Amino acid sequence: MIDERILDIFKKAIKSSQAEQTELVCESEEFYLTRFAENSIHQNMGRSDSTIWCRAITGKKIGVARSNDSSPDGVSGLIRIASDIAGNQIEDPDFVSLVGSPGEVEATGFYKDTFQLSASARAEAVADIVSRAKSKKLSCAGTYQTSGVSLAVANSLGTSRFAKNAEYRFTLTATANNGRSGWAQAAGRDIGKFDFRTVSQRTIDKAAFPGEPVKLESGQYTVILEPDAVANFLLFLGFLGFGGKTLVKKRSFMSGKIGEKIMGDNITITEDPFIPAIEYLPFDYEGVSKRKVILVEDGIAREGVYDSYYAGLASTKSTGNALPPDNSYGPYPKAMTIEGGQYSIDQIIGSVSSGIYITRFWYLNFLNPMKTMVTGYTRDGTFLIENGVITRPVVDMRVQQSMIEAFSNAEMISSERRLIPQYGALMLVPFMKINNFNLSVA
Amino acid sequence: MADIEKLAKTAVEKAVALGAKYADCRYVETESESLSFSDGSPESVNRSLDKGFGVRVIVNGAWGFFGSSVLTKDEAVRAAKKAVEIGKASAILNQTPVEFTLSGAYIDDYVSNFKVDPFTIDLKEKLGYLENLDRLMAGNSAISTRGSQIDFRKASSYLLTTEGTSVHQKIIQSGAGIDIGVIKSRQERAARSFPQNGGQYECKGYELLREIDFATAIPRLTEEVIALLAAPECPSLETSLLLEGSVVGLVVHELIGHPLELDRVFGSERNFSGTSFATVDQLGKLQYGSSIMNVVSDPTHPYGLGSFGYDDEGVKAQRTDLIKDGILVGYLSSREMAARIGRKSSGAMRADGWGNIPLVRMTNTNMSPGDKSLDDLIAMAGDGIYMSTISSWSPSDDRSSFEFGCEIAWEIKGGKLGQMFKNPTFSGRTVDFWNSLTAIGNEKLWKVWGTPNCGKGQPGQNARTGQGASPILLTRVKVGS
Repeated sequence: MIDERILDIFKKAIKSSQAEQTELVCESEEFYLTRFAENSIHQNMGRSDSTIWCRAITGKKIGVARSNDSSPDGVSGLIRIASDIAGNQIEDPDFVSLVGSPGEVEATGFYKDTFQLSASARAEAVADIVSRAKSKKLSCAGTYQTSGVSLAVANSLGTSRFAKNAEYRFTLTATANNGRSGWAQAAGRDIGKFDFRTVSQRTIDKAAFPGEPVKLESGQYTVILEPDAVANFLLFLGFLGFGGKTLVKKRSFMSGKIGEKIMGDNITITEDPFIPAIEYLPFDYEGVSKRKVILVEDGIAREGVYDSYYAGLASTKSTGNALPPDNSYGPYPKAMTIEGGQYSIDQIIGSVSSGIYITRFWYLNFLNPMKTMVTGYTRDGTFLIENGVITRPVVDMRVQQSMIEAFSNAEMISSERRLIPQYGALMLVPFMKINNFNLSVA
Repeated sequence: MADIEKLAKTAVEKAVALGAKYADCRYVETESESLSFSDGSPESVNRSLDKGFGVRVIVNGAWGFFGSSVLTKDEAVRAAKKAVEIGKASAILNQTPVEFTLSGAYIDDYVSNFKVDPFTIDLKEKLGYLENLDRLMAGNSAISTRGSQIDFRKASSYLLTTEGTSVHQKIIQSGAGIDIGVIKSRQERAARSFPQNGGQYECKGYELLREIDFATAIPRLTEEVIALLAAPECPSLETSLLLEGSVVGLVVHELIGHPLELDRVFGSERNFSGTSFATVDQLGKLQYGSSIMNVVSDPTHPYGLGSFGYDDEGVKAQRTDLIKDGILVGYLSSREMAARIGRKSSGAMRADGWGNIPLVRMTNTNMSPGDKSLDDLIAMAGDGIYMSTISSWSPSDDRSSFEFGCEIAWEIKGGKLGQMFKNPTFSGRTVDFWNSLTAIGNEKLWKVWGTPNCGKGQPGQNARTGQGASPILLTRVKVGS
């Protein structure tokens, strides 16, 4: 993993750049993953790579180039390619400028023990899990990964920032001979706080839950969503509406509704990269400092997240949510949280006379983006709740549900929240009891 | 490339010296260019160059892998050491040593079919191409959003194995597509795209852009997208369903290609992509579809996005029957997975770049054409629904059931096309669906549709696959909106 000396290479290269404005970004990662299935390790790997982006600006012409050559010659060559593109580009009248940010080197969330966890330590943890699962006649599949990531940003307006962090992620599916399964995952920065036995036991208990699965009819149900399922929805809401691009292009479900009620009174969603559980890198791919953003407050749409380009179009300021310069999604919230409620999970389950407990969703996809309507399946731990008690497994069902409608029908929210990874994002989310949730026979 | 051959040799020899029973080293250099326009402005012009190598070993009967983008002899040694160390850690748990079918040793240099290397075309010409598309789409003031994109990719690779395989490959791929949208209100938006959602990708050079007839398509798409907003929702019923070719391509991908990946069948993807209903005990027995259905995996197709000369563990590209006369007869496989069913690899082991372990992936999954024209198919449908252009897809984790959404549909009444419907969907059980296949479009309607973004594996790997398909007619399918 590349250290802060990359900034020296960047500064020298920027000085010799012919472009009016030049920006260099380096994201470097050393990544290890132990993947297992059928109670054996079948894919076990490591990778070391660094991605360098250059954005060169001539007037209102922008050129972007990317490579994974971080040598001084490689960086200088990349500037030449980006400058050449800019020279041949068509003007973008909406582009204003790169952003100058104060320079400093920050080390947030970097835990050496996480970064240095050995392949044999990962394998031994997996062996422990497999041994306990086998005693219940279960088959295990999952991943145990660790990584160290650094981000450096420098530009010709004086930005010079470097930070690094480390992360672990763990996922586990346990499957019984009859095909029933359980799932759990965990993530964090400090491997010393990771209790893989508790997380894996949750999975094992679900897969081994007694009783024959019941096949339910299509209809509207009261459901309890585990944090994984809540995070599945939140990921899609992020794509559909919290990013500045979707708001500027009027494709967001929040377009034209800022200040209006769009969800239940008990829903507050924030982008909060600084809370201890998440400890995100303190700045984005433009070097702009991140800040807490209230996306939805007590059910009312408040604001989206922005990079400098879309902030300019929306006459606001960047919130520090730029993605890499060659992305086409626009700004995205990567550290979302949903405020916890006042209930324990036992109180929530106890309040349901008839309903369904859902561990997670699978293959959600949009049916109607403007209405946040998605389709998908329940997976790896769906149970019937009768008279306040989880009684037996349920055959997985298809979900056809508007997500903002679901978040308008959240009757109870747990005080407990879990940190859930969703692709490149980390989310801190609670359990939710939701009424009138649409499920159908798969 | 001589330096790369030396680097690979260093890595493989070091791995063997450290105890690896098998080792390979794969170097990949990928040059790509992506340009897009959005609502009259250039959205992005990106170029990238990515290179690195990965060392894969079997040591103590288990797999290890390490990849690096640092192209030095020292790093080759470090990567080999890391791969062996990781492989030895895998062996802590594994009871059964990896079995690996034999492969021939090939020394070859493969170059894909292309006429014009897109990286030799001037940037201004490419931007001019997009500007022209944008201008054509801007002709009607009712259009709210318009987008266009072109993409090019050149992947040069080298594979060296301890079995003596030494293969260079160069593969050029191109893609292009447009989308047009109309926003009527806060909650109503209609969109049409062409040639398919996300564009069409093929193993061709710049000539692909000259072959796609956007100029004829844009006025039709404009008319359709405006009409869609006023169209009624697709009714919910069970009826005959005619699917346009690109829709069939993605349905073949999701409901035939994925379930027949043998690693998935054995549970390797249980934690992520899921399993498969098409278990090995059903091989040679399962009536997967009606008797007119024949599907092959064919990486030898000249223009398919999933075409190559050799897979990423050195197996030569070959045609493999997957479904014959409706019966399940084969799987997509690797050397390790094929050994588990006593067969040879189908040559479907593919990795995303240099930094990932190869997985069993689709190549070109092609459904053989039938003999019907589009008019024949519409007439045969009698009363039913015709759907075009996929907009949404959601299969179950074992691929036994599904729901797909399309951009547009038309009623078929008395064997003729009728009124338009918006937000159409179709859903069902995979085996029932394919067994209701009653007619397939002819060779003139057949095309290998490219999917440049097929996801699988942890860490997530992207694969570029092709699906050969023409329109198909099915009966008793559940449709709705």
